[in-house]
Amino acid sequence: MSGTAGGITKRKDLLGLRGVAADEITHILDTAEKFRAVSERRIKKVPTLRGRTVVNLFFEASTRTKTSFDLAAKRLSADGVSISASTSAAKKGETLMDTARNINAMAPDLVVIRHSYAGAAHMLARAFPFSVINAGDGINEHPTQALLDMLTMRRRFGRLEGLTVAIVGDVYHSRVARSNLHGLTTMGARVLLAGPGTMCRDGMASLGTPDAPVEVRHSIDEVLEEADVVMMLRIQRERLAPAMLASSREYSRLYGLDMDRLKRAGEGTLVMHPGPINRGVEMSPDVADHHSQSAIMEQVTNGVAVRMALMYLLLEGESDDATA
Amino acid sequence: MTLLLEGGRLLCPDTGLDRVADLMVVDGRIDAIGAFDLDPSSDVRRVDCAGMVVAPSLVDLSAELCDPGRTWLEDLESGAAAAAAGGFSTVLMSPRTDPVVQDAATVRELVARSSASPIDLRVAGALTVDLAGHQLAEVGLMIEAGAAALSDGGRVISDSMVVRHAMLYAARLGRPLLLRPGEPVLEGGVMHEGAVSTLIGMRGVPASAEVIGVARLTALALETGAPVHITGVTTAQGLALLRHARAQGAPVTASVSAHHALLTDQAIADSGYDPSTRLSPPLRSEADRRAVVEALRDGTLDALHSAHAPRNRVDKELEFALATPGAVGLETALSEAVEGLGDLGLALAVLSARPARVLGLERRIAAGSPAELVILDASARTTATPERFFSKCRNTPIAGLELPVVVQGTLSEGRLVYARS
Repeated sequence: MSGTAGGITKRKDLLGLRGVAADEITHILDTAEKFRAVSERRIKKVPTLRGRTVVNLFFEASTRTKTSFDLAAKRLSADGVSISASTSAAKKGETLMDTARNINAMAPDLVVIRHSYAGAAHMLARAFPFSVINAGDGINEHPTQALLDMLTMRRRFGRLEGLTVAIVGDVYHSRVARSNLHGLTTMGARVLLAGPGTMCRDGMASLGTPDAPVEVRHSIDEVLEEADVVMMLRIQRERLAPAMLASSREYSRLYGLDMDRLKRAGEGTLVMHPGPINRGVEMSPDVADHHSQSAIMEQVTNGVAVRMALMYLLLEGESDDATA
Repeated sequence: MTLLLEGGRLLCPDTGLDRVADLMVVDGRIDAIGAFDLDPSSDVRRVDCAGMVVAPSLVDLSAELCDPGRTWLEDLESGAAAAAAGGFSTVLMSPRTDPVVQDAATVRELVARSSASPIDLRVAGALTVDLAGHQLAEVGLMIEAGAAALSDGGRVISDSMVVRHAMLYAARLGRPLLLRPGEPVLEGGVMHEGAVSTLIGMRGVPASAEVIGVARLTALALETGAPVHITGVTTAQGLALLRHARAQGAPVTASVSAHHALLTDQAIADSGYDPSTRLSPPLRSEADRRAVVEALRDGTLDALHSAHAPRNRVDKELEFALATPGAVGLETALSEAVEGLGDLGLALAVLSARPARVLGLERRIAAGSPAELVILDASARTTATPERFFSKCRNTPIAGLELPVVVQGTLSEGRLVYARS
């Protein structure tokens, strides 16, 4: 990974938010704020990355994230291709490194990779000259999601420092939660975690710092009382080992967010979810669609802006007004 | 053949010998220790050891030499060369080959080929067919054919009934059973479960998997009286249970890889998920590493082994979770041990006399003892450089680390089988 000091201009890749400094996160969010306006115009395109090539390499299914990266590249006038590869490609023959060698031979400027194993993005970043954005590696990190989450929170509350953010559900398997934990603690927010013991383990508290503690609580009601933001996580059935959960019914009773709980939390509590939602499991349908308190669609909108900002910063560094 | 090692510091952890003297080797044995004034016309070969440490050579309890079957990774010749360069003159070869060493004919062939090796290569036979942990292999016939030990090849046998019966059966055969402690259903992760796995987002293997394995092996060894050698007790909790079981009289010895004496799971984070840091058992926490050092000091652990596991790009140029675990170790074990333990004498003891005892051998500097010796520059430090390995493989988690001790020469049966310059 390239250096972190002195802003993002020297950075080749974004592999995670672990180790990314607060001023750099702020700079990314500020840049995203500018790019957000591009998507609100009738002509949603700027020439910033004209002639640059972006490859989306997705080894796991994705609708939202892939579309978001696709649109981000297109709105910056980059040439983009998306490759959806099965996770079992390694078992079938070609290794990730060989796939990447072939892509590298076609001289891309940026590769966005989603992969089911931690460290896949790091491996490419180490081996190749192109820039790499990690769009999710196993249970490790999904940094662009956390950045769009933080942008959403910052827009609503005007700050991140001092906010209390509750993350509820399957924290263990969530790369979204992990990137948010790294990013939010760096920005001075306090993070409360709640979920079943199998999915929300006491050891997660070790990710906190004295200024930005991470606290593991046992019930959702306990964290709702204190939270400015509650981020509900999806139950990732595809990742569950035996005996991690009793049933969906029990889960939604004990850890789901419904209108009663939301009312008790208060009108000021912002509801977020990285999607896709299992309606009726971690969140009741009326909560998901509760416009004044749910920021779920706003998160998706901000995602395009954050990804445009990152592509611009990684490929162009600082230059003149990129949004013109 | 006569050889005189002149002016070295003779260091023998087993006898307590530690003094500068000459050492005369005659016909493969240590003939005498003292000061010798040779006639210049004498045909005795003289080796200048001034400033060097002369110690008993090293004994390895667990190395994969991949021969037969995967000889592009290693073979008896390259494995022996790597071992000698690392100061080893006896190596017990894992049955994890292709095919698995599980019948008398294969053992006989390996024993015959090993007799031509410059060092003492010993054959471990598989305890169960295909190392699958179900059916007992023909262990009696393999021992008749010359197998020095029986082994699970590093693949945990989780069926306690199979382990119990294998122990009862093999207890009469007079050879150690090398078994790894573990509980496979808890071992789906790819690294040690702890603060680092939480930080870098990888599935962990909990220490409890090893504790359950140690409990299984020690309880059954105590009950059956089988001579069990437990390979790879790496956690503080596992070592605590092992200490307890040994105090209860369980007839077990135990060792751990030299990597575990030096490295921790932090190496995985620091290397950015480099698959060369993926080992089995996994690298553990710093607290565990300290417990390993303490256990070597107090005798809970008898020995260090190399866990030599050659892998190439096909095995390792993959995502961390898909990469085959294992690292080469024969050429660096001593340096890793000295750095990790911070004690040359202890490092030598746990790599020579103590593992030798597990195989019924001795390693000591005394008149009449076999001349199995290593000549070391203990004051030098050297950078681990995989490109210079004698092994056919380069997969090491310590590439680029500067470590103490340079092996200058290795003697097996009184012959210099490795000389650095």
